[in-house]
Amino acid sequence: MITVKDLHKTFHTLNGSIDVLKGINQTIEKGEKVVVVGPSGSGKSTFLRCLNLLEEPTSGEIWFEGQNITDKNCNINQLRQKMGMVFQHFNLFPHLTIKKNITLAPVSLKLKTQQEADALAIKLLERVGIVDKADAYPVQLSGGQQQRIAIVRSLAMEPDVMLFDEPTSALDPEMVGEVLQVMKQLAKDGMTMIVVTHEMGFAREVATRVLFMDDGQVVEEATPQKFFDNPQNPRLQDFLSKVL
Amino acid sequence: MSSLMTFLQLNVISDIGQKIYDSTLYMDRYKYIIEGLGNTLLITLFAVIIGVILGTLVALIRVTHNNDHKKLKILNVISSLYLTVIRGTPVVVQLMIMYYIIYTSGDAITAAIFAFGINSGAYVAEVMRSGIQSVDKGQIEAGRSLGLTQRMTMIKIVFPQALKNVAPAIFNEFIALLKETSVAGYIGVQDLTKGGDTIRSITYDPYTSLLMTAAIYLVIVIGMTACLSKLERRLHKSDNR
Repeated sequence: MITVKDLHKTFHTLNGSIDVLKGINQTIEKGEKVVVVGPSGSGKSTFLRCLNLLEEPTSGEIWFEGQNITDKNCNINQLRQKMGMVFQHFNLFPHLTIKKNITLAPVSLKLKTQQEADALAIKLLERVGIVDKADAYPVQLSGGQQQRIAIVRSLAMEPDVMLFDEPTSALDPEMVGEVLQVMKQLAKDGMTMIVVTHEMGFAREVATRVLFMDDGQVVEEATPQKFFDNPQNPRLQDFLSKVL
Repeated sequence: MSSLMTFLQLNVISDIGQKIYDSTLYMDRYKYIIEGLGNTLLITLFAVIIGVILGTLVALIRVTHNNDHKKLKILNVISSLYLTVIRGTPVVVQLMIMYYIIYTSGDAITAAIFAFGINSGAYVAEVMRSGIQSVDKGQIEAGRSLGLTQRMTMIKIVFPQALKNVAPAIFNEFIALLKETSVAGYIGVQDLTKGGDTIRSITYDPYTSLLMTAAIYLVIVIGMTACLSKLERRLHKSDNR
């Protein structure tokens, strides 16, 4: 479904260039739940953001559903409709009601009428248990509720893959559970997911494959069981000893 | 005592009724005020429209160029030049240049509308630019990640939030513009100030005519402030917890 070939990303700052991604090769199949972990600054978020071109790769290729999305002629807006993304800071639209947040994209892009979009929004809101907030504004909701809405907003586009960029890192500890619950349900329903997170419990329970990134490279990848119980790379062993 | 009265011009108070009558109803002098008020409002209204459209365009050009330095290079240079010249010269001079050099064939009111509109656009542009840049980058990313185009994201997500952030500053600009139009008399426009001044020159009574003029401006500004703060409250509906 997604194939990444020798992906490089260099940021140019005033203090010189920083190589954040140093050649990543990955293939993600339909239905896989890939969890990416690693120390901060290892390039996991950048890797994720390259997948829907929120960051433009410096070199390398990314193929999504048979199309080279790094090609200049590729219509990235169309492809992003099929790749949902959930952000660390939710990024809900504060000037719109919850229902409007969810229906804005499908209606603006003429994929659905307002009625169809509303109906889907209500159905999705029921699934995450906050249908009574449909006419509230984001600021009136707790962080956990906002993040669940953000997931619903992405799902309303009926994507083929969902990208999660540290979805629970900005939440109060007591709200982490409710968001992870929604993500677990999503995984159970067969969604292809790529999740950058520090929630090792989630990785162990949900992932079909766990990647460990360090210094811009994937240094170890394995099934959760092998990954956590029998880590090979010394850097990973060190990392796990600190976070577990 | 009477010399003191004269010195302080306290007689102003004694026959105030007569003075007001002389400055307004006598020989239909109030018509100077009515005509002037109409012209002042006309100039302000159209100048605001020109200013907002022009200011928004210039702000968009500058923001687009700032985000990607390869885009809109020439338009950005023109915009910068426009901002520098307009903000660096007095509005009265701009007004006279418009009437006596650029728009020589037209009438004074149209020249004033363009002069004030172009002047206001420069200030609106800078306010709008700060408003657009104050919207969190995450908002744009969220919009784009849903498949919305750059344009749609701008129109449906960034712009409404930017407008809300800058509403008070833009409203202030409208109020300032209304008062700035009082110099339109320089090119012979019969605006409110000119009307009041005409009555002063006929009656030789500066108190009634000028204070009346000031009061009318004040009432309009108070009215505008009330309307605008109501509008602002509506814009902030989504902030109520």
